[in-house]
Amino acid sequence: MTLSHLATEDVFVVERNDADFRAGQGMTKGLGIVFRKFRKALFGKPNSDRADTEGQFNVQYPEERLAMPEAYRNMPILLYDDATGHELCTSCFQCERICPPQVIHITQAKDPATGKPVPAAAKFVLEYDTCMSCGYCAEVCPFDAIKMDHDFELSTANHPELDVDYNRLLRPVSYYETIAPTMWSDVKEQAMKKLQNNIKRRPGDIGRDHGQKIKGGAPVAAAATPAAGAAPAAAAKPRGPVAAIGKNMPEDKTAKLLAIRAANAAKRGGGAADAAPVAQAAPVVEAVADAPAAVSAAPTGPVAAIGQNMSEDKRAKLEAIRAAKRAERGE
Amino acid sequence: MLKTEELQINIGPQHPSTHGVFRMLVTVDGETLVDLKPVFGYLHRNHEQLGEVNTYLQNMPFTDRLDYFNSMVNNHAYARTIETLAGVEVPERAQYIRVIMDELSRILNHATAMGFMLGDMGAWQTALLWGMREREKILDMFEYVSGARMMCNYCRFGGVVRDIDDWFITELKKLMQGLPHYFDDFEGLLLNSEILLARARNIGVLPKELALAYSVTGPVLRGSGVAYDIRKAEPYAVYDRFKFKVPVGTVGDVYDRFLVRIAEMRESYKILEQALEQLPDATGGFINPKVKQQSLKAPAGEAYARVESPKGELGFYVVSDGSGSAYRYKVRAPSFINLSALADMCKGYTIADVVVILGSIDIVMGEVDR
Ligand code: SF4
Ligand code: SF4
Repeated sequence: MTLSHLATEDVFVVERNDADFRAGQGMTKGLGIVFRKFRKALFGKPNSDRADTEGQFNVQYPEERLAMPEAYRNMPILLYDDATGHELCTSCFQCERICPPQVIHITQAKDPATGKPVPAAAKFVLEYDTCMSCGYCAEVCPFDAIKMDHDFELSTANHPELDVDYNRLLRPVSYYETIAPTMWSDVKEQAMKKLQNNIKRRPGDIGRDHGQKIKGGAPVAAAATPAAGAAPAAAAKPRGPVAAIGKNMPEDKTAKLLAIRAANAAKRGGGAADAAPVAQAAPVVEAVADAPAAVSAAPTGPVAAIGQNMSEDKRAKLEAIRAAKRAERGE
Repeated sequence: MLKTEELQINIGPQHPSTHGVFRMLVTVDGETLVDLKPVFGYLHRNHEQLGEVNTYLQNMPFTDRLDYFNSMVNNHAYARTIETLAGVEVPERAQYIRVIMDELSRILNHATAMGFMLGDMGAWQTALLWGMREREKILDMFEYVSGARMMCNYCRFGGVVRDIDDWFITELKKLMQGLPHYFDDFEGLLLNSEILLARARNIGVLPKELALAYSVTGPVLRGSGVAYDIRKAEPYAVYDRFKFKVPVGTVGDVYDRFLVRIAEMRESYKILEQALEQLPDATGGFINPKVKQQSLKAPAGEAYARVESPKGELGFYVVSDGSGSAYRYKVRAPSFINLSALADMCKGYTIADVVVILGSIDIVMGEVDR
């Protein structure tokens, strides 16, 4: 049966090893390769060369981090101008329309005097939990107001926190410039020109009344809630793929990591290593068993004398059972 | 003769060897498998219905989530379907970029798929991690061009979203220096390993006729000895410009599928070499600037376009009623159709072979259940 649609010169048959088993020869050869690699990995230096297949390729996250490529996209952020504090967004609804899972919700700002719409957004809510990081919003925005952030450490135990609004979405343009310098320089000129035009059409503090800080530090206009997370990354990120500890890491993250380390070290340093778990377990026993006797020096032996490690009511119960048994036996 | 009773047991859906939330209801007689019923649907998320609600462009990132190992290939197949439907021209350079991404995907898919299969055999975890290492190098490059490692969302109608630059080409050349070493190491480690031979030779045999009857495609079909590859049978993009061969097996067992995949990685390497050589001469940009991405409307009609994904024939079928979103949208997912042959591949073998046979089909539940 000829089933091939293809010319015979385009096809070849893979070579099978149909030999009988030889005791472990193939395996020994394979193990040789494994050991060679293992030695290189054990004594080798960290290696990030794509041309190499030997050495250590691990990156010790979170101390070591890979530098993010500029195009990397995680969650969208909104930009505002450092000098004036004006948001770049004009509430044109392009991003809201394209967003595949429909997680962007915008309310247009209105001139309080005339009630006419103003090219700025009064409210901007983005559901980070449902955003699929597709990057379309940043792609379609005609004003370069929405961009994709590089921060991926957003996990939280508080789910509603992931509906983020202006307060957490706003970043100064200078921040975006540090994470994506060439991508910003491509669009900078036209984005800023468009912004200047829009500022003219914004009466009062509309367009900069979400607590953003301008150069000098103070918020531009009084806002209901203070701005958070608008701190720009300290330094431009290095381009090398693997960085030493602390590199590629925002300062607040470094501080946090160091604090956790210090706390752990303190915990370990507090006493002998094996005493620590006992000390930790004690309050739990106290809470559950409610017996002060149990707290002090729990015996390590598997069987304990009666009364030890035991709550008062349990002990009373046990005593009652024993008494009943003795009575039964006629003692 | 002692008569034993048949026993029905459940493998999965939460089981490390089922490669996702997949359940197999198996009937065994002692150790021997008598019957197997695959049960899927645990990962169903309404992909096809969503495709009829979304606009054409909005649906692109959803295709990433089908076979999440090969989002580049999914994007390519989907973009090709809509381009056929709407009559969009794709510049030559964009075609080359797509081919490069597809072949890189094939290498990373086969490297990890074989690693996982060997993990199922008990070769825990050396082979898998070597594959993961190569995969990670490729994913870094995907991240550089597309912005994401796995959910690339890279293709647009009439091209790709971002051009590849010198950094990418340099890194790709470096990567390609290392790849042959990886292939050699991988083969040296395993090809003659007695454990692999014992677990793979003449296990899970899928005869030619049966493979065709089930419409099985990809390395599983080629392992059964049918030389069928869409890149050759119906060349798309610029595949007709490359010299490469289609490896086929003879027996159709797990071992043949394994060998076919290794051979395919080497063929992909050859394609990459030629694509890199021809890329500078390609005309056109990385995208057709005339296409209105967001408001793309397709004339009423239907289109089916397919590509050779690493797992088999991946096709999208779209019916348009002239509006901006599909009237009917259907995915021909290779894993799903290959999986339907599982019961016949497994019958008569022992229960320990089932996980190996499943591993050799190389399924991704994101694509099976959609
Ligand atoms: S972020 Fe951009 S696209 Fe979205 S409403 Fe504002 S200006 Fe328009
Ligand atoms: S990244 Fe995609 S999913 Fe997320 S808000 Fe933007 S458009 Fe919506």
